[in-house]
Amino acid sequence: MNSDYFSDAARHPMIRRLRSITDIPRVELDALMDVKMKVVEIDADIDIVREGERPTQCVLLLEGYACRYKLLDFGKRQILAFHITGDLPDLQSYHLEVMDHSLCTLSPAKVAFLSHQTIDYIITTYPKLAAALWRSTLVDASIFRQWIAGVGRRLAHERIAHLICELVVRHRAVGLAQDFRFNFPVTQAELGDATGLSVVHVNRVVRDLRSMGLISLAGGYVAVRDWARLKKTARFDASYLHVRGGEP
Amino acid sequence: MTLLTFRPVRIATGSEDEDGCLVFNEDHLIAVLVRLSDLHGDAEGKWFLEAAFGHLDHTARPSFDSLDEAKSWIGSQIEA
Repeated sequence: MNSDYFSDAARHPMIRRLRSITDIPRVELDALMDVKMKVVEIDADIDIVREGERPTQCVLLLEGYACRYKLLDFGKRQILAFHITGDLPDLQSYHLEVMDHSLCTLSPAKVAFLSHQTIDYIITTYPKLAAALWRSTLVDASIFRQWIAGVGRRLAHERIAHLICELVVRHRAVGLAQDFRFNFPVTQAELGDATGLSVVHVNRVVRDLRSMGLISLAGGYVAVRDWARLKKTARFDASYLHVRGGEP
Repeated sequence: MTLLTFRPVRIATGSEDEDGCLVFNEDHLIAVLVRLSDLHGDAEGKWFLEAAFGHLDHTARPSFDSLDEAKSWIGSQIEA
């Protein structure tokens, strides 16, 4: 292996992510441990793959934040999803040849590239891993449905509170927010691009959530101060994330 | 040719951003501007397009350094 990330299965980001949503037998986990991946460090705000490209590999996010986005007229951007450690944000490119959106880093990131050939080997050799990857893309689709509902119909406070609740559950699922505090290197402009709000509205909402004692936000980290009230504000139900063990 | 007029107003944004302007094109309300408070750091004092109607509603939500700048921009959007 070319990185100490993969020294044991419990620390392997992809294994943690897949095991958070389904069971995978030991023999198949061991096989995943043996998969060769090229690990690359990437600066913040760099496109990993762009709309219209035909990738021959998929990305596994080892560290940092990434987002999927689409650029619209007048320089407007819609962020479609945030991605964190353990996610495979462009797994679709294995089947869908042309990227229909772009993927970029939001923070300095460490990523591993899995060639489509490698993915082909994994899914044709290990049926439970194949099912886990399929399940992972279905969970992604479920998250997109929630985001559509949010951008289309939720109030500003609900949208941002809901996003924070989602990220709490997703970080905890991969062992990164046991104390309800997690890395959040997202600017207010990016938060606006994700929630369909102006920076001005994001500013007001974040200030309100802080002054209500629900969250604190400093140094690129969010800490949830009152999980029960934050969930209530967001009308959050974690079932759409399909994490084993449910919400905290 | 557009005739834009501004009428001062207080706006209940639920924040310290209260000083605003209604923007009329003749007798039609077409936009609401609000002056940003110190809540917004470097953007304090700018005029934010809080709400827009009709053709203006299809644009992004910019902020302007002055009401004159806002007037020029709104005028250009209406005539575009």
